[in-house]
Amino acid sequence: MDNRSTSAVLDSVAAMELWHSHLLREKIDQSSLLVQGNRACALGALDAGVRFFAGYPITPSSEIMEAMAYELPRVGGVFVQMEDEIASICACIGASLSGWLGMTATSGPGFSLMQEAIGYAIMVEAPLVIVDVMREGPSTGRVSAPSQGDVMQARWGTHGDHPAIVLAASNVADMYRLTMAAVRFAQRFRTPVTLLADEVVGHMRESFSPELVGRYRLTSGDFDFTPGYVHPDLAREVHPPHILGSEAHPHVTGCTHDETGFPTNDAKKSERFLHELYDKVTNHRDELCLYDVKNEGKGRVCVVAYGSCARSARAAWRLAELEGLPVEVLHLYTLFPLPIEVIQTVARRVEFMLIPELNLGQYAREVRKLAENWTTVISMGKIDGTLITPREILDQVTRLIGKYESV
Amino acid sequence: MSLEIEEFLHTERLPHIWCPGCGNGIVTAAFLRAALDLGLKRESTVVVSGIGCSSRASNYIDLGTVHSIHGRAIAVATGIKMARPNFTVIVLTGDGDGAAIGGNHLIHACRRNIDLTCVLFNNQIYGMTGGQLSPTMEVGGRATTAPHGHVEPPFDLCRLTEAAGASFVARGTAGHIRQLEKLIKKGIAHPGFAFIEAVVPCPTEYGRRNGTANAPRMLDDERTRSISKAKAAGLSRQELAGKIVTGILHEDTTAPEFLQAYTADARAQAEEASAPAAKEQK
Repeated sequence: MDNRSTSAVLDSVAAMELWHSHLLREKIDQSSLLVQGNRACALGALDAGVRFFAGYPITPSSEIMEAMAYELPRVGGVFVQMEDEIASICACIGASLSGWLGMTATSGPGFSLMQEAIGYAIMVEAPLVIVDVMREGPSTGRVSAPSQGDVMQARWGTHGDHPAIVLAASNVADMYRLTMAAVRFAQRFRTPVTLLADEVVGHMRESFSPELVGRYRLTSGDFDFTPGYVHPDLAREVHPPHILGSEAHPHVTGCTHDETGFPTNDAKKSERFLHELYDKVTNHRDELCLYDVKNEGKGRVCVVAYGSCARSARAAWRLAELEGLPVEVLHLYTLFPLPIEVIQTVARRVEFMLIPELNLGQYAREVRKLAENWTTVISMGKIDGTLITPREILDQVTRLIGKYESV
Repeated sequence: MSLEIEEFLHTERLPHIWCPGCGNGIVTAAFLRAALDLGLKRESTVVVSGIGCSSRASNYIDLGTVHSIHGRAIAVATGIKMARPNFTVIVLTGDGDGAAIGGNHLIHACRRNIDLTCVLFNNQIYGMTGGQLSPTMEVGGRATTAPHGHVEPPFDLCRLTEAAGASFVARGTAGHIRQLEKLIKKGIAHPGFAFIEAVVPCPTEYGRRNGTANAPRMLDDERTRSISKAKAAGLSRQELAGKIVTGILHEDTTAPEFLQAYTADARAQAEEASAPAAKEQK
């Protein structure tokens, strides 16, 4: 992607949009493109150099797969629609073990099917990008109602103790740049990275200007797809990758293994191996934790939000400013590894932490564990399949501050 | 053990975990001899297996080996083959791994006719977990989960894969080592999805519950029950009951192979992408 010019990016967007123009029925304008979140995700993946995609159709994520099906053969990549989500992620793992980087996209039900293989990818250190465009669950739920119900599935979905890198996109530009970040993290840490979006983020269309693309574009040094590549500063932490077809003719196994790649039953070796898998992620929390604070240090209430709720939180903050309410916003782009320091720094200075999310407080529980020594953590969960509005957040803020003052 | 197959064996990892009398070693050795005869190279050959007794074979083979998860060997192999079309990719699987939990991937790989070779070790039982019934166990067979005798009919995996679109289908037994070796060799050389069912004895988990806990006798039994495709053609359904039809059962070298079709299409797409002006003129 390093040498792709902005115009090439735009051509790519235009090609995708033109191809789907019968669905879009929108005018293509080169200066300000109206791009759907799922397409922006595909574009980010292509610009980051992803050349292998295997998937299975599921609402509300299918547009990512459709865009990849259209684009990949045109740029020397490979696309395949597999027979189910299990096969999709397994094919991605096969590609990753061959020195490529596999990517797939799905929604809750498909994400559940993938969980066993995600554990395998963690164990064999295969870099992968999995996009989960969340819809209301459990089970079939409501296919086109937004939700953030898969947060804990993204963290703990596969069995056993394991690390997880989980990002959350809140708008179309996020879908582009966080997909790139996911590719970068997957490749650097040689582990699966999950990008969470919700139905609204995946399906909404926003203007996607060249400036925006340029600003968020990572630099060329961020991606190196040389098979077997390990970033020099991680050479001590990331195990040498298994690359099929290399001279080392390796053995790859999901069994707990030692440095030879073969299974081991030695208690000390197994423990050390599992700790190493964990440590390579948690030791780099600073690098992995992407976030944004608005109105820093000026709020009595901090709204901690991610995904589409973060957008409402930002709007609520602007409304609060008009009404003279002291509110700050902590917008998290990385949910896991937990941004411990970031959350605790804010917790030390605010009276309340308010967490609006489209589930019954899955992430609020994590925040509470970290912050309850210093502040009061209030979960604001909603599971009716509609968004949390800025007004709802503002009302809650007003109640919190009012309650405090009336005591 | 003959010295020649040690070329492709991790001898330092032996002895293997298979029980005395197990046929898995015979099939693995047949595969290794086929690999040697074909002159397969370490740097371009990958063996993918799932989970189960047969899938443990990948632990002893000194080629690129992937010991994947239960039932998904073919899906992982599909990804490898698509990423590295010049590799020879072989799937070693069992009747539980390949035909029960992985049955869907098996039929879809057949349908795609992707150039993989799948050697399925059929012992009619789940050995590693201690003798549960498998989808190839015959009616009346006994297993820990069919203690009163199995009531479901088994899959005929060769008929299944042929119907699903595999362009090479064969069956051999551990009792006919040379034939099995030839079948695997032909399967690997075949351009398209090759399915080889290898009937193997499991005296420990299958045999002792079904009155045949004697390895040489089980091998003898496989030999006496085996019948060629030509001979089988003249027999009625009743006469065929209990017989093992062996040899190449289906071969079609003209069926379009998935990756070749994909690559040709992708090349056309890439050309179109690099010449957008020509498209507009149409």
